[in-house]
Amino acid sequence: MTGSRLTVFSIVFGILYVVSFYYDLALFRYYPEVGEFHFLRNDRLGVVILWYGWIATSALASACIAFAVPRTLADRVTPGLAWIIPTAVVIGMLIYERRWFV
Amino acid sequence: MIVVLLILHGLLAVALLGAITHQALSVLPTVTPARDRWSFLDRFRGVDGTAYAMPIVVLFALTTLGGALVYPPYRIDVRPALEDMQNSAANGVFEIKEHLGAIGLGLLPVYWLFWQRPLAPERAVARRNLTWLLAFFVWWNFIVGHVLNNIRGLLP
Repeated sequence: MTGSRLTVFSIVFGILYVVSFYYDLALFRYYPEVGEFHFLRNDRLGVVILWYGWIATSALASACIAFAVPRTLADRVTPGLAWIIPTAVVIGMLIYERRWFV
Repeated sequence: MIVVLLILHGLLAVALLGAITHQALSVLPTVTPARDRWSFLDRFRGVDGTAYAMPIVVLFALTTLGGALVYPPYRIDVRPALEDMQNSAANGVFEIKEHLGAIGLGLLPVYWLFWQRPLAPERAVARRNLTWLLAFFVWWNFIVGHVLNNIRGLLP
């Protein structure tokens, strides 16, 4: 993966992670009480961990986007976007997670 | 086994915290010390930031992996206990910790790229801000991890 594609990957990853988390788009689910991974929801297996699945979804989708985006477009991504967009993503996530503290 | 993993996770986090703090302070504008006397802070930040980039990438990835391995016991034992105590703030700070860990993992490729020698001057601002963003993630996750690990002793 070239430098500009790595930049695209990192920028898109944060956005897709928050989207995966918000819309529950985990690639798979882990049920720690039975130690099993499942692609589909199965409430009979106890508590579920979605975090691994969210990371897998965003990593896979970001890699696909980073490879698919035309080179000319990837080269036009400015260094500033590499920190501005992730910072905005983090701020948005923090605002959403205020729900735990009210 | 889980205690060993938890201790390893904590030790990796200490190393990561030290490395990212050195690097984050090293990217601040330099001030020439008065009378050629270097304070502790001057020495702390007077490091070659590029030397820390790869160790930080490896440590961040390994520490997050360690966190992923100790997550299931937390989800089974600790989180329900916190919910029984109606301590939603503790669960909230942990949720933020896991999000920052994941977003940080995604940032590692561009962070590594921007710290490659020779350092590109046009990336200096982005490099500094990415480093500070990662430093915020690491400090948050470190403090939250320790507070949650000790929460039974900390709460009345």
